Amino acid sequence: MKKVIALTLVLLIVGTFVFAQGGRDKADDVEVVKFWYHFDNPETALNPLIEKFEAENPGIKIEPERISWDTYNQKLLTAIAGGYPPDVAQVKLWWQPQLVEMGALLPLDDYIANWDGKDDIHDRIWELTRHSDGKQYYMPLQMVILYLYYRADMFEELGLEVPKTREEFLDVAKKLTRDLDGDGIVDVYGFGIRGARGGHDWWGTFVLSSGAEFFDEHGNSKLTTPEAIAANQWFIDLYRKHKVSPPTTPSDGFVEVIANMKSGKTAMTIHHLGSAAELEAVLGDKISAAPVPRGTEGYWTSFGDEENAIFAATEVPDAAFKWASFLAEAENNAIWQKSSGQVSVNKSNASADADRFLKATTDSAEFAGVLPAHPGVSEFVESLWPALMQQAFAGQITSAEMMQAIEDHFAK
Amino acid sequence: MGQPSLRKKRDLLPYALVTPALAITIAIIFLPMFQTITYSFSHYVLYKPQEKGFIGLENFKTAFTDPLFASSLINTFIWIVGIIVFQFLLGFATALLLNRKFPGRGIARSLILIPWVTPSVITALMWRWMYDGNHGLINQLLSKAGLIKEFIPFLAQTSTAMGSIIVALIWQGFPFFAIMLLAGLQAIPEELYEAAEIDGATRIQQFFRVTIPMLKPVILTTVLLRTIWVANSLDIILIMTGGGPGYSTYTLPVYSYIKAYKGMDFGYSATLAVLLTILLMIIVAGYVRNILKSQED
Repeated sequence: MKKVIALTLVLLIVGTFVFAQGGRDKADDVEVVKFWYHFDNPETALNPLIEKFEAENPGIKIEPERISWDTYNQKLLTAIAGGYPPDVAQVKLWWQPQLVEMGALLPLDDYIANWDGKDDIHDRIWELTRHSDGKQYYMPLQMVILYLYYRADMFEELGLEVPKTREEFLDVAKKLTRDLDGDGIVDVYGFGIRGARGGHDWWGTFVLSSGAEFFDEHGNSKLTTPEAIAANQWFIDLYRKHKVSPPTTPSDGFVEVIANMKSGKTAMTIHHLGSAAELEAVLGDKISAAPVPRGTEGYWTSFGDEENAIFAATEVPDAAFKWASFLAEAENNAIWQKSSGQVSVNKSNASADADRFLKATTDSAEFAGVLPAHPGVSEFVESLWPALMQQAFAGQITSAEMMQAIEDHFAK
Repeated sequence: MGQPSLRKKRDLLPYALVTPALAITIAIIFLPMFQTITYSFSHYVLYKPQEKGFIGLENFKTAFTDPLFASSLINTFIWIVGIIVFQFLLGFATALLLNRKFPGRGIARSLILIPWVTPSVITALMWRWMYDGNHGLINQLLSKAGLIKEFIPFLAQTSTAMGSIIVALIWQGFPFFAIMLLAGLQAIPEELYEAAEIDGATRIQQFFRVTIPMLKPVILTTVLLRTIWVANSLDIILIMTGGGPGYSTYTLPVYSYIKAYKGMDFGYSATLAVLLTILLMIIVAGYVRNILKSQED
């Protein structure tokens, strides 16, 4: 008897492993598209969009899965390496070189050629999202451009003009850095720098606009030229020398930077439309926006993007493209932006009555740029830049050493 | 139906019973472990699958000339010693206090467990906000008490980040020592103290001649367990500083994690993990041998 029980137990446990593999049922010829996304609140836009899509395409079922942003990239790459990627997933431009190198993406050129909606996407977006091998792997989804947030009330109080150049910016930032109650302690800092992960956009605005370039037109690095090192030094000095950014800068992430704007601890920062509603809710008219100031060579600001990619391993490429293109069509894309708080990729959605935040975005469209298409970008963004920047802020390495380390990383 | 079949039955049953547990252990512990060891001898960058291949000891050579490996190793050492010493002292003091009779002792004993049962993620987020250099509670209190004029950016300075996280971890882990040592204390027979008292031993002598020797097995085991746990832990560091500012809170597990999941370099990351395991095994082996020796005495 005991033996029977034991055997049954063993069989049960072994059985679970064996049969777990074969559990995928393919009933009723319904094509299932597995879709990964990484934002909160699917109720706002995603669920209604799925309902609409499934009603229009009875043979297709969307199976959405939310993956937390902190581990999104890592899980995606692991899923690809493990051989079970989703069919469609929200992706970032800077991941594209890695994904292409892994052979993970399905080229979409043929699909797009036959897609009616293609002419309604902004040309600049097609331009920026096309991979360096000339193929189009990404379906546009949303866009955003980083601009300067500033406290209009503080500018008015001190009689300041919105800075147009780097020099004006430093001057304004110094004037905004103030001790309000006369206790010898600074209460407001001119500029909130994001010194933790994700802060390369703040850095790029001043360094990539003033002589530093990852690769010039011949593919040579221009990160360690005297101009580039000086530009980086200028940025480090904002924190170290001029102290116009809070002492917590090296550890400030997105949450802290926005919290400091909301509480009045900082008077300027850089971010995009995604935080406009949140800032306006707290600050009302006191918060305003303008394009970032010009560097010594020109303007640079970050084009923040989000696309959908279809994976080469998919068994339902047609259904997957239908879903990805559905989301890029004007009507649906407008619904999508309700939850993203960002800008539609469609020409026909460009609104005439843009508010000050949207205006700052569109005013920056001409010079918005992206990081180079290089597989090393991901590590640069995720861990190298924050570590180097924080060391430079702490005075542990020089500007030249930091730029050299970045150059070495991209030379690999 | 004679002896042999019954004997056979008895021989098979234990294996049958052990099989599920063993199968699971092999599947989720030994296979990944073996895979990690294989990776450590390979060039394996996740997004460059075509370059994957065996490279012998190359990763280990890289590690020994990697300044970041050296600094992470030193940080790991500071991390372990700083945490274990203070957790132990604080835990021991708490255990001694809780071993005395006072009103509300039962409640105090339960309350003391709160830090230990709080999930690490919550602990890390809580301390991160308490340390916050702009709105943090600790800064508010210090400034209200007149101890500081300007807020201290605890987690943003290389000089204070490591110490600040160590304090959070001491807080989290000291109840483990307190509870284990308390159990040990209560197992010491009262007669031993009575006998010591009759022989004229002072309180201090009783502590060093009775309490400590009687507690030694508990102390050795708990310190060993905590050393292994603390050496491996990275969740709190990741949440509080992510290894920063700079590389100032990189311990070996953090470095290994970041190499794997931010750099996608599984080969080198595995090498770091293997090196950490070897180092821990050396420490643990020496330690266990010492325990055995002291128990023979």
